[in-house]
Amino acid sequence: MSAADARPGFDRALSGRSAECDGGRAIPGTHLVGREEFAGVLTGDYVDHGDPPWRWYLLAQLSRTPEGWPADAVWCESGSVFLIDG
Amino acid sequence: MSRDPLRTKLCDMLGVEYPVIAFTHCKDVLVAVINAGGFAVLGEAMHTPDEIAADIKWIRDRIGTKAFGIDLVLPASVPPVGALTELEAQIPERQRRFANQIKEKYQVPDPKGPIALHQWGGLNQAMARAQLEVLLEERVPVIASGLGNPAFILEAAHSRGMKVFGLVGKTRQARKEIEAGVDAVVAQGFDAAGHTGSMGTFSIVPEVVSIAGNTPVIAAGGITTGRHLAASLCLGAAGVWTGTLWLASRESDLDIIVKEKLLAASAEDTNWSKSISGMTMRVLRCPWTEEWARPEAPPALAAPYQMLLSSGYIQGANDHRRADLMTEAAGQGVGFVTAMKPARQILFDLVEEALDALESVVGELA
Repeated sequence: MSAADARPGFDRALSGRSAECDGGRAIPGTHLVGREEFAGVLTGDYVDHGDPPWRWYLLAQLSRTPEGWPADAVWCESGSVFLIDG
Repeated sequence: MSRDPLRTKLCDMLGVEYPVIAFTHCKDVLVAVINAGGFAVLGEAMHTPDEIAADIKWIRDRIGTKAFGIDLVLPASVPPVGALTELEAQIPERQRRFANQIKEKYQVPDPKGPIALHQWGGLNQAMARAQLEVLLEERVPVIASGLGNPAFILEAAHSRGMKVFGLVGKTRQARKEIEAGVDAVVAQGFDAAGHTGSMGTFSIVPEVVSIAGNTPVIAAGGITTGRHLAASLCLGAAGVWTGTLWLASRESDLDIIVKEKLLAASAEDTNWSKSISGMTMRVLRCPWTEEWARPEAPPALAAPYQMLLSSGYIQGANDHRRADLMTEAAGQGVGFVTAMKPARQILFDLVEEALDALESVVGELA
């Protein structure tokens, strides 16, 4: 998939919503996988990868991250995002 | 009993005799379990699309038209682009010094070659998509998602006659995947090897069953005996997902040193730790996990920094086959893995013990 297959967008309805992400990914160089959890505020920014679209949301203003998380935001796969403000 | 209690809707869905799924990274184990009447799923997350295609052909040459599964890890969270630059330089001195102390204390040898780390952010979306394309093209009977939500590929898979399973560690994840239409949910408890949620198997399985409706729920986490299988069915599961059970099988390609460590291990010899990768996972205790668990140890770093620290230890231990240093993902049921048996025998023993367990509780039903 090339960079052209990543299509950014903005969802006004989600912007500012509090959310949690049950995240995780493969551990490089091993056959192991790890989980990591986040809480924060959705910016409303999203990226759709490929076809059928695989949507990712940007979670910022992080109030819970793995210790030492190297960034001030995280991209979360849409199926792993849970709105927590109703 | 009036009917075969091991004949579940999962058996009917997969066309297998026993409701037992082996999760393995070894193709020989997969073939042995499937040819013995169980089901098996091959973990291929770290393989390239070409390697996956070759493995599918290899499997089909040996099991014919029987169903099998491939497990991929769909990433669920990734750092923003650019956040992982200059990784080495960003590791705090305290953690770096502590890692060096462990290396000196245990005389951990240097790896024989370059550390086999790649894709620092974990599998990225593009790689996962490319892997999925192979599975769709090959019409692999079952796609299992070992981590992320597979909802976005459901339509493409179902239109090709394929099934999609999702592995979850929380009930809310299960609800989301069931609503999306997955064909089965693997409810994995804290007892499991590798990455786990924080709920125990005995809690998460019935909770997911209670919301699953007709979707089969597969119990995972600490399942290594027929009694575990029988208990899982009583909790409402339609089958079990087993990993540790097969690690020390005859067919398994694990290093014999690791197999022997597994055979000698009990549940207390496993450790739920962030020290390997910065993300929680259950592995066999080893000097690395023990040192990072000490009160004076610094906190483990987030991924991928912790992996940068641990990778030299792991590869050095493996390259030089240092039994005292090596580790492997293992669930709490490892204490029941006590003999190096053929996979076929492991399956048959599991089934026989489950039937005995069920009969001992309910007796012969008219």
